[in-house]
Amino acid sequence: MATTLDAHAAHGAHDPTVPTQTHHEVTRDVVNTLGTADKGYFLLLAGAVGLFLVGAFTFVMLLKDGLGLAGYTPPVFWSVYITTFVFWVGIGHAGTLISAILFLFRSPWRTAVYRATEAMTVFAVMTAGLFPIIHIGRQWFFYWLLPYPNQRWLWPNFKSPLVWDVFAISTYLTVSTTFLCVGLVPDIAAARDMVTGWRKKVYGFFSLGWKGTHHQWRHYSRAYLYLAALATPLVLSVHSVVSWDFAMSIIPGWHGTIFAPYFVAGAIYSGVGMVFTILIPLRKAFKLEHMITEYHFDNLAKLTLLTGCILFYAYGMEYFIGWYSNNTFEQAAFWNRLFGPMWWGGWTMVICNAFLSQLLWFRKIRTNLTALFVISIFINIGMWFERYVIINSLTSDFLPYAWSQMTPTWADWGILAGSFGWFSMWFLLFARTFPVVAIQEIKEQIPMPRLRKGGH
Amino acid sequence: MSDSTPREGLDRRRFLQVLGVTGAGAAVVSGCSTQKVEKLIPYLVQSEDQVPGLSTWYASTCTECSAGCGLHVRTREGRAIKLEGNPEHPVNAGKLCAHGQSALQGLYNPDRLTGPKARQADGSFKDITWDDALALLVQKLQGAGGKLAVINGANRGTFSDLLAAWTAAQGGKVVAYQPFSAEPIRQASQQVFGLNEVPVFDFAKAKYIVSFGADFLDGAWVSPVEAQLGFAEAHGFRNGEMAKHVSFSPRMGLTGMNADEWLAPRPGSEAAIVLAMANVLLAERSGNPADANALRGALAAHTPEKAQEASGINAEVIKRVAREFASASPSLAVAGGIPAQHRGAAELCAAVHLLNYIAGNVGTTVRYGADQDAGGDGYAALLALVDGFGGGATSVAIVHEANPAYAMPKKADFAGKFAKVPFKVSTSLYLDETAALCDLLLPNLHALERWDDARSRKGVSNLLQPVMEPVFPGMATGDLLLKTAQKLGGPLAQFSAPSYEAHLKAQWLKAVGSEDAWRAALAKGGVYGEAPAAPVKLAAGAASAVAFSAPAFDGPEGEDAFWLMPSPSVLGDGRFANRPWMLELPDPVTRITWHAWVEIHPDTAKEMNVREGEILRLESPHGTIEAPAYVFPGIHPRVVSVPMGFGHTSYGRFATGSGVNVLDLVDGAAAGSFLPYFGTRVKVIKTMNWKKVAKTEGTTRQLGRGIVNWLTLDQAKRGLTPLEALAEEGHGEHEVNTEREVEAIKGFDEAQREKRKYGAYANENPMWGMVIDLGRCTGCSACVTACYAENNIPFVGESEVLRGREMSWMRIERYWEGGEEGEPLQARVLPMLCQHCDNAPCEPVCPVYAAYHTPDGLNGQVYNRCVGTRYCGNNCPYKVRYFNWLAYNQKAFPAPLNLQLNPDVTVRARGVMEKCTFCVQRIRGAQHQARLEDRKLRDGDVVTACAQACPSGAITFGDMTDPEAQVTKAGADSRGYHVLDLLNVRPAVTYLAKVVHRTEA
Repeated sequence: MATTLDAHAAHGAHDPTVPTQTHHEVTRDVVNTLGTADKGYFLLLAGAVGLFLVGAFTFVMLLKDGLGLAGYTPPVFWSVYITTFVFWVGIGHAGTLISAILFLFRSPWRTAVYRATEAMTVFAVMTAGLFPIIHIGRQWFFYWLLPYPNQRWLWPNFKSPLVWDVFAISTYLTVSTTFLCVGLVPDIAAARDMVTGWRKKVYGFFSLGWKGTHHQWRHYSRAYLYLAALATPLVLSVHSVVSWDFAMSIIPGWHGTIFAPYFVAGAIYSGVGMVFTILIPLRKAFKLEHMITEYHFDNLAKLTLLTGCILFYAYGMEYFIGWYSNNTFEQAAFWNRLFGPMWWGGWTMVICNAFLSQLLWFRKIRTNLTALFVISIFINIGMWFERYVIINSLTSDFLPYAWSQMTPTWADWGILAGSFGWFSMWFLLFARTFPVVAIQEIKEQIPMPRLRKGGH
Repeated sequence: MSDSTPREGLDRRRFLQVLGVTGAGAAVVSGCSTQKVEKLIPYLVQSEDQVPGLSTWYASTCTECSAGCGLHVRTREGRAIKLEGNPEHPVNAGKLCAHGQSALQGLYNPDRLTGPKARQADGSFKDITWDDALALLVQKLQGAGGKLAVINGANRGTFSDLLAAWTAAQGGKVVAYQPFSAEPIRQASQQVFGLNEVPVFDFAKAKYIVSFGADFLDGAWVSPVEAQLGFAEAHGFRNGEMAKHVSFSPRMGLTGMNADEWLAPRPGSEAAIVLAMANVLLAERSGNPADANALRGALAAHTPEKAQEASGINAEVIKRVAREFASASPSLAVAGGIPAQHRGAAELCAAVHLLNYIAGNVGTTVRYGADQDAGGDGYAALLALVDGFGGGATSVAIVHEANPAYAMPKKADFAGKFAKVPFKVSTSLYLDETAALCDLLLPNLHALERWDDARSRKGVSNLLQPVMEPVFPGMATGDLLLKTAQKLGGPLAQFSAPSYEAHLKAQWLKAVGSEDAWRAALAKGGVYGEAPAAPVKLAAGAASAVAFSAPAFDGPEGEDAFWLMPSPSVLGDGRFANRPWMLELPDPVTRITWHAWVEIHPDTAKEMNVREGEILRLESPHGTIEAPAYVFPGIHPRVVSVPMGFGHTSYGRFATGSGVNVLDLVDGAAAGSFLPYFGTRVKVIKTMNWKKVAKTEGTTRQLGRGIVNWLTLDQAKRGLTPLEALAEEGHGEHEVNTEREVEAIKGFDEAQREKRKYGAYANENPMWGMVIDLGRCTGCSACVTACYAENNIPFVGESEVLRGREMSWMRIERYWEGGEEGEPLQARVLPMLCQHCDNAPCEPVCPVYAAYHTPDGLNGQVYNRCVGTRYCGNNCPYKVRYFNWLAYNQKAFPAPLNLQLNPDVTVRARGVMEKCTFCVQRIRGAQHQARLEDRKLRDGDVVTACAQACPSGAITFGDMTDPEAQVTKAGADSRGYHVLDLLNVRPAVTYLAKVVHRTEA
């Protein structure tokens, strides 16, 4: 099979999992992405930092004046911030799924994309991690949520889903960061060997003395496997815990046993959406078209389709249970979701997530990058709205007298924009500084040079 | 105390009064003089009645309206912090309405005048000394030569007598005036019985109550607390009985909301209905008073059919109501409120007097002889006085406790006529519209700072005593009168008392006899007796009352003309408009805060394509106003209603600029002796502009959720529970839990009980609980204001109310029933507060244990521990948790309002969740007291602020583990239910279902 492969021999069916370049070309192409950036990059970075500053300013105002600057309208005590929090946690999940679970399952197509998605995970969780601080009333006491030893023997309430949340997020951030850093070591070493100047020093540090010895490789691959195994359950557990922030309550529209799998599927769905949004432009900008190919996108799209179908089912099941419960409050909550004052949000969520994903049954769409990019934008919007709509179940729960709708204000949008800025800033910095494609794993898949026809 | 640090502009002495810092030092409060004290010395010799950390109570009297309710004023470290009703008082029996509660915000109002001011040549006011002010006043009075006019808004009592004598001695004239003065009732009494007085209405005895536009539950009618207390007594379900209440009024006010049947007649036509009822009574009932039978012939013409023609109310309904009215004895018919104060109001009241007389109610539920003070000589007298200002007839005008520049319609042109008086004096505490026109401002002391008295009626005389040092150095107007008298001399030399206090005491000594009796009266709050009943016969003019002609309304006629009803809102006649508690208190009917609105019927709104919030322009021949529409099913389709009391142009920071003054639309001419508030028609014009209505309600319907449950009288008699009643009505099975679920809940319950065996929970603890009788609750909202006062609840302002962020720990939920497809509209109200669930959903979700369960069954909230995740707020099914979004505590108590803060209650900072605590400070206070006295806590030792205030006596609080406690007994009623019982949160608040008379159509 391998004999048919050649970068320039496009005849016949070739195995798309096998890269078409040589080892050297791979290293060269990837390390090239680390070179001096052009104007466009700095413009993007400036935009990201600008957005981040908008968020930072908003946060300072929140600290100064209070959360009332945002559009909270009791009974809606949670709103855009928690929506955005769940959104970013969800984004992270695709990365871990691709890098850890698919690694354990030995899916060869992950190699070209996993580094970027894993970085996305870490930055998304870094973003999400800010929200438990931003959204509380007395931000300066956020550490009271942590179980730190203190003289008064005050501990957090381990019954509270919010405490579970703190553990879930901090665990997730720790494991995914470690996973990313460890996976980077051989690549950074490869880059170290090809660059000069300050980069060499930085890479020298982060490569942790990597020499590529047999001994190191042995430990490295064990460690990586081990970390992948450690990260795998987190894909399921973190978003389950996040979903329990809602499901453990008694609010109609929140109080659902289906929430954990429903949220996990949604998280992966949204995460893959974000992968499209990031990878399609990135691949072009970094001229990595021959490494990240249609084949990869096709597979990613299939993953999207799978999770999209699970979501579709979950939506249907939510409404079915709402109706079947014969519980006035449940029925009203779900009726309101589609036909109440927030109907447009409900339909945005259903159309973007359940319906739009069905387009991916068509291979033509799965391999059309423009279409995928457009769909991915809708997925991002749809998934943000999913959380917004679910949280907005608060608008009409038990006592009709207390019902109220909420309208977000500049402070809501400011933090939302800031979170995108913060995320993009880190990602952009990462993309220019570290290899966004896993050099060593791609190389593993390239057949030994001696097998190639018409070699050098 | 955390928030009552001194502010700039607050003088040190007043701060010292508040200083109770850990017992290390405190201020000497030097009696009640107005001298400046600038010394800081500790209590070397502790004043007898001041113990730092403990409350001192004084008996006094409420002067917020003319009813004269008895007060117990709670003071701490020399400042008044809470007003409660005097339980011994015959008028209010320990209860107090929202207006009365808010007197503290009048006392500590940040816009109070800080001293006398005189107008300068350039028109501005300049601070002057009291000596200069007195000299100026004396000089002007000397020059006036008897051309003196006084407008007095104070209640009857020694002060008003002194003012009258003082004015008369100079040859001047006094007119006593209060806008809501029940003048039509007085006028009709004169006509029908020959008695120039407002009778005392005893609602409690009545078995059937019919009201004709009498807003006796809306806080503006004769004696509001007494009426409500009596109404709750009569209309509350007890021992299988309750009175029926039928309300005829074009608008469903709070009174109509509490009617078993509310009927909207054509405006002005109520008298036709009354006469038809009288006709039916006379024709069908024997045992009528003999002199009434003489009216039979005259009444015969007033058939129910004719009344139907005039009013649009079905003749059969009128007959039925008349027969029901006749068969219940004693019954009570009332009229004479603002909603029926049209040009035919006196005729209506006369007809009602007749009806009561025929039914034999006069002497039982309508009592003459006591001469209830309803405040004043009437509008006509005021108008005559004001009209006489011009042409040098008046040289000096003094306005005391009245604000005619606001309370008289613009059409009457008070400002223009007043300007003709060369020298105008105001004794107002605030720079209100009238004071702003005056030349000399001599602010009186607040009623809680001065000596005074007030007569509720004959036999009930009340004393006021200073309960604290004046907030701002001032001079009581009584003292001012005496001082000027001494300087003026001549005929005024008779007023020789050294001080008003001495004068008052002298007057009282004449009445009570001895020093001891005076002291006893002072301690008790006054002298309470019963005036002998006056014999009542029909007067010669009574026959003339048997006549109905539709009263005239001025203004446009035709298709697009609407009757305009100014309705008394929370702000009353406007005097409460600068009190944030009152502005933020949702109107009990519409649930709107902070601004005025236009009520419009849904059908009319549909016809005109008007939706809530569209600004409507109302045009009458007398003026134009604009206010947002509120679509309201409880109003006659051809009537629009606008609340009174808004739209001040000068009164203070809160009142000025909020809303519009509906009186701008009303004609200023008197009808008889009163002002026909409801006498104008207006054009309603759409503007296509919008303003979001700042209301606190979400959805107005219960959507079948069984929140406010009710039983018919028959069901209640048979002892049905609300669930059984629902099943009987065929409202579904209402089976919320399957058998398996019930089992599970039981198991859960047992597990919960198991937990009660550990730690602090294992001890023998009380279990605090509350019972709220919806059969008695009228929705008046006194509890809400009492809660604000007791618990340092900040107001948030209109913009924050628009975001639903009001902090009212206790709120009144109001739902509509019926009103569609020909079904009668009915209102349901329910006070909602923290239910202190045993199995509280808010507790487990708090990550830091800020919400936790105390061993005595309270749902505690530890403010210091709260980080503000607000999960508890989300998870509370009752939505009774309130979050401080924007440091409301820093804006809500501008000095000296902060002096009102209750030192026993934390002022919550921003970023913290707060909620009803069941007045835990009172619970702990009573427990400490019991421990000091080495006894167990007794039932009744702990009364929450809401239960204390409730003028309906609807709230009972106590220890539910005590089988003898009132709360336990009340909760055992078959009507008892828990709101949202299916959630199994085990609330500690039990509601007793409302009982209604079912009207068979």
